[in-house]
Amino acid sequence: MLRSAGRAVPLLPALILLAIFLVGPVLASFYGSFTDSALTGSAAQGSHFIGFANYIQLFQNPDFFKSVWLTIVFLIGSAVIGQNVAGLVLGLLMERGDRVMRSIVGTFVVTAWVLPEIVAAFAAYAFFHDKGTLNEILGAVGLHGPNWLYSLPMLAVILANIWRGTAFSMLVYTAALSEVPTDVTESAQIDGAGGWQRLGLITLPLIRRSISTNLMLTTLQTLSVFTLIFVMTGGGPGTNSSTLPILAYQQAFKFSELGLGTAIATILLVVGALFSIVYLRALKPEVD
Amino acid sequence: MTQGSIMKRFATAAALGIAAALVLAGCSAPGSTGSSSSGTIKVAYQKFGNFTQMDTQMKEVKKQFEAANKGVKVQLIPIQAAENDYYTKLALMNKAASTAPDVLYEDTFLIKADADAGYLAPLDGYVKDWSDWSQFPDNARQAGQGDDGKLYGVSLGTDTRGLWYNKDLFAKAGLPVPWEPKTWDDVLSAARTIKAKLPGVTPLNVYSGKPNGEASTMQGFEMLLYGTQDQLTDDSGKWVAGSKGFTDALGFVKTVYQDKLGPTPQQALDTNIGNLISGQWLPKGKLAIDLDGSWQSQNWLPSGAAPWPDWDKTMGWTAMPTQTGQAPGSVSMSGGWTLALGSKSKNKPAAWNFIKLALNKENSLNFDIIGTQIPVRDDVAADPKYSESNPSNAFFAGLVKNTHFRPATSDYPKVSNAIQVAMESVMTGQQTPDKAAKAYDDALKQAVGADHVVTK
Amino acid sequence: MAMTSPSRRHLRWTSNGILGLVGIAFALPLVWLVVASFDDHANLTLQWPRHFSLVNFEAVLTPDLAYVPLWNSMMISLGCAVITVAVAVLAAYPLSRYKLRINKPFLYGVLFGTCLPITAMMVPVYSLFVSLNLIDSEPGVVVFMAATSLPMAIWMMKNFMDSVPIVLEEAAWADGASMFTTLWRVVVPLMRPGIAVVFVFVFVQAWGNFFVPFILLLSPEKFPAAVSIFAFFGQYGSVMYGQLAAFSLVYSIPALALYVFTSRVLGGGSALAGAVKG
Repeated sequence: MLRSAGRAVPLLPALILLAIFLVGPVLASFYGSFTDSALTGSAAQGSHFIGFANYIQLFQNPDFFKSVWLTIVFLIGSAVIGQNVAGLVLGLLMERGDRVMRSIVGTFVVTAWVLPEIVAAFAAYAFFHDKGTLNEILGAVGLHGPNWLYSLPMLAVILANIWRGTAFSMLVYTAALSEVPTDVTESAQIDGAGGWQRLGLITLPLIRRSISTNLMLTTLQTLSVFTLIFVMTGGGPGTNSSTLPILAYQQAFKFSELGLGTAIATILLVVGALFSIVYLRALKPEVD
Repeated sequence: MTQGSIMKRFATAAALGIAAALVLAGCSAPGSTGSSSSGTIKVAYQKFGNFTQMDTQMKEVKKQFEAANKGVKVQLIPIQAAENDYYTKLALMNKAASTAPDVLYEDTFLIKADADAGYLAPLDGYVKDWSDWSQFPDNARQAGQGDDGKLYGVSLGTDTRGLWYNKDLFAKAGLPVPWEPKTWDDVLSAARTIKAKLPGVTPLNVYSGKPNGEASTMQGFEMLLYGTQDQLTDDSGKWVAGSKGFTDALGFVKTVYQDKLGPTPQQALDTNIGNLISGQWLPKGKLAIDLDGSWQSQNWLPSGAAPWPDWDKTMGWTAMPTQTGQAPGSVSMSGGWTLALGSKSKNKPAAWNFIKLALNKENSLNFDIIGTQIPVRDDVAADPKYSESNPSNAFFAGLVKNTHFRPATSDYPKVSNAIQVAMESVMTGQQTPDKAAKAYDDALKQAVGADHVVTK
Repeated sequence: MAMTSPSRRHLRWTSNGILGLVGIAFALPLVWLVVASFDDHANLTLQWPRHFSLVNFEAVLTPDLAYVPLWNSMMISLGCAVITVAVAVLAAYPLSRYKLRINKPFLYGVLFGTCLPITAMMVPVYSLFVSLNLIDSEPGVVVFMAATSLPMAIWMMKNFMDSVPIVLEEAAWADGASMFTTLWRVVVPLMRPGIAVVFVFVFVQAWGNFFVPFILLLSPEKFPAAVSIFAFFGQYGSVMYGQLAAFSLVYSIPALALYVFTSRVLGGGSALAGAVKG
């Protein structure tokens, strides 16, 4: 018992920092979601416990369900499908491409990821703008692009998030693929298995654990994306791209209703937890 | 004792020590605001983008104050944030005694909510003994009142709204200059004439949609609504749903956008259309009529963001008419800012002295000129220096007599948001004015509670 | 690997081709950023500048706008990265080497921490900072950002540590070395690439963090570049594109440079891959 406690000592600084600065505020926020806490107005003097009233109000608000739906669309589009598939494809391609290509393409992909979020958001805004680069290119080949940010805001932000986040998945899958033992795939090839079969029946199952972890990490990171969407579309037009973090910001800061804002954040956590459970059940990786 | 357990203890101590040291370091970090000693007062205000006038003004007042009050220092805290973020930052600062400012630059429309929240100190006792107070007329005094009738802020200045128009473009289109529309139809027909005679020029701008926030609600919607028989609230203070005026105002917005008399919806939904209008469209003759605020010319002054030397030769101004020309004939909305006293201030007398100094005649006059504000003090309004400083000043100041104020309750932001949503849906053609008005009614009931709403 | 068989070469060409397209797709949004910053009449359209000019850079490279905020960003991000790495290495060791019951719940709990939108939590954090008297204090901001970077950092550090063979430590233990000596003398040197990766990861996140300093700092001279560029963007979003682009470049370069430096020195981003094997 004592030995175990002693061994946990290096965990202490982390535990202290996390407890004070993360767990504390999270619990306070969670509690806050059951109050009418506000930045101004009489409730700011002292908030009152109001039970589930915030949540009930959320569930009666059609904007809320639209926001949940948009968040799920954003998640599936840009994280589950977008970044993971793009990352996997890039990983596979990098294996077979030559070194120069690998490093050039890798640089561009990673640059999009390393750029500070607001710069990436601004670059994406300029790219998808009605008079921006994308429409200019389409125009050059004779196509008339729509006003992406206005007519297809979700598509624009999903593509932008894929652009921004794929590097992470690419690196994960590159490493995971490099550990797939070549003798297994080669013997399958000798046995007559085609490329796609090898991929689907051998390679992918072997990197199951990386896929599951990567899905979880990208999902959780994508859930909290705020600046990218805020700068590109502001959540609009109307509420057509207002995912949950944008809605939480609006409630908490524009309307100064903190209780509602934190209730939304709590729901966000629940969505994340649900997705994670699905991944773990579906992929059944062994975790130590 | 084994080497292992000594190391363990050392490690534990080290870990705790690191944490403690960091906290302590934070405490003694320079600039971390401890509780304000009686020797310093903190003055918080907004400084953002082109709006640097308050910063200039406060620096000047600080000099004067410190010269006259040895022993008291002024710490200026310019908050570099736009509208909502400024309110948020200020509210956060107000929540805690150690960061609460002594003097704050407070929007009139938040006074009631902030007074309710206990952030502001009542000023009735102080103004009683202030000789200058007689220079503030009644409606200016009311601007700083809380729900309990006590005074919480003293007005720095206010603003009004009207129609700016390009005299050259009007002449080219054969429209009369000076222009004096008497009804909504007059405004729309002038816009149609421009559209017919001057293709390539946007006839009329009415701010609309969520991205432009309060500009859409106040310069756009409320300038229309308050020109009808209806308003946002009735005399008892309840919110009004289902009024004809509301639907008519939405109808005007729909006409402007669907009949292509205004910017395209995409242009209107750009958060920076305000900058475009004052910086490019108006000076370059791309926009003929702009329903906007009295401060527009601020941009064109030599000290402004888009200096335009002969702006007053090209631009004309007139009042926005009521719907059918009914009394009082014109409509305007007013906002305005005040200086308020923080309730957690540890040196209220010194803070009050600062406010008095900042709002005396010379300082008020100076701020109203550089900030293109409409003065609230009678003596400043009457001062020839004010009317001479800007040709449009006298006109816009004259609109104050028919002006309206927003219902400044803490629910207002949600209602304003619902208005913007309604404007957007008729602007883009997604809903008819009737449907959008109905949606507003539903959102209104949800936002303020059904028992605060009266349906017409 | 034999590369001469025709199907292999064919595969390489296709892969290169697709890679090339992907590379272009990823580079495109960046092209505008670079081009517009040198254009004195920049607007949103991608256009070849009529005159190449440095006027945008001149306009933004002032102490107020650039130098002071960039310095603040450097201090804050460095401080945050150093603290995070140190604490994460310490924390990862027991998680990696000892099968404590706390492991799994801690790791998962910590992982969920990464998905919280900070915007909703800022008010309790503000109150917390007020009671600790850490408002408007750069060290306070550093510590907070370190705490919020810890979840990912610990996760990554643990994964790196997992791939360091335990044999060497067992030898050290057999020789009577304590946990800390082993950690410092044996494990850390072997983990240098991994530590560098976590450092860069945390630094880059901290470099781009706008919201936390905006809320927790009051004095404008303490703001990092993330806050000043956000203010710049809000003020001039539709008018001064060239300056915005120039400012964006200036602001991004340190983060990019750090990444390039570490990956050159430590053999490529494949090191990061080892961080998240799960």
